[in-house]
Amino acid sequence: MTLAEYFSFLPYGKYAFYIWFSYLTAFIVIANLFIRTRVIHKKILKQLRIKYSRN
Amino acid sequence: MWKWIQAFASPKNFYQISSKIIPWFLYPFIIITLVGLYWGLVIAPADYQQGESYRIMYIHVPAAWMSMFVYVVLAVSGAIGLIWQIKLANVVAKVSAPIGASFTFLALVTGAVWGKPMWGTWWVWDARLTSELILLFLYLAYMSLNNAFDNPKTAAKASSILAIVGLINIPIIHYSVTWWNTLHQGASVSSIEKISQPAIHSDMLMPLLLMGIAFKLLYGALMLMRARDEVLIQEQNTGWVKKIIMEKG
Repeated sequence: MTLAEYFSFLPYGKYAFYIWFSYLTAFIVIANLFIRTRVIHKKILKQLRIKYSRN
Repeated sequence: MWKWIQAFASPKNFYQISSKIIPWFLYPFIIITLVGLYWGLVIAPADYQQGESYRIMYIHVPAAWMSMFVYVVLAVSGAIGLIWQIKLANVVAKVSAPIGASFTFLALVTGAVWGKPMWGTWWVWDARLTSELILLFLYLAYMSLNNAFDNPKTAAKASSILAIVGLINIPIIHYSVTWWNTLHQGASVSSIEKISQPAIHSDMLMPLLLMGIAFKLLYGALMLMRARDEVLIQEQNTGWVKKIIMEKG
């Protein structure tokens, strides 16, 4: 059984695997961009707060 | 106009203005993406040749557009930083690189996934695919070079020169399907002329255009969010940054 056949119960039949894999990849890439942006933002605020409180 | 640009390019003004306009990118991005996805995945009919598989286009094509668009922004910002020594231009170039690299990666992965059922292979050393892969390497080289120097001015200068030289790859990617005999299909939507008489049906075209707009808004939001943080780092010894951080504290 090929991957395409295995995922054929999803909408889009034999192309389900290819379509949903693409959309999942897009979701992960975009979510990663937002999460990294948020993490960097928090890290910078923390670093600067420590720096100013030391001074 | 020039005065407005100069005022906006001041790090303090940029920080304040960008904080206000980020939601104007973020919320329309969410709404337009949802509409575009619903239209593309549910309403749009199956293609007569490619069947349902063409729906990958709604991620692949906007990602590929953005990979080139962001690189042009990066190179132009780098050139502005190099010529006019505008710090903010270097900031825009620096923060755009990882976003552009992500779009390029997404275009390559979704292209490979689309290629498998259509061409029977994940990858071919085709002019379009190879030039897009070179674009990913250019982004990675830019980021590596930008992080290789301790002095931010030297880093910006060296990486900007690389970005400007790499700009030659953009017309190569765009015209690769015209200049060479490639497996990759030609452009369906690439100019105003083609938008008015597109090669695809409007029910398929509209969600594509919506997703194109959504990806541009996404880039705008992410770029502003990251540029704001970069400005805070670069201006950390100024009073206004200290005031903002302590107020947030």
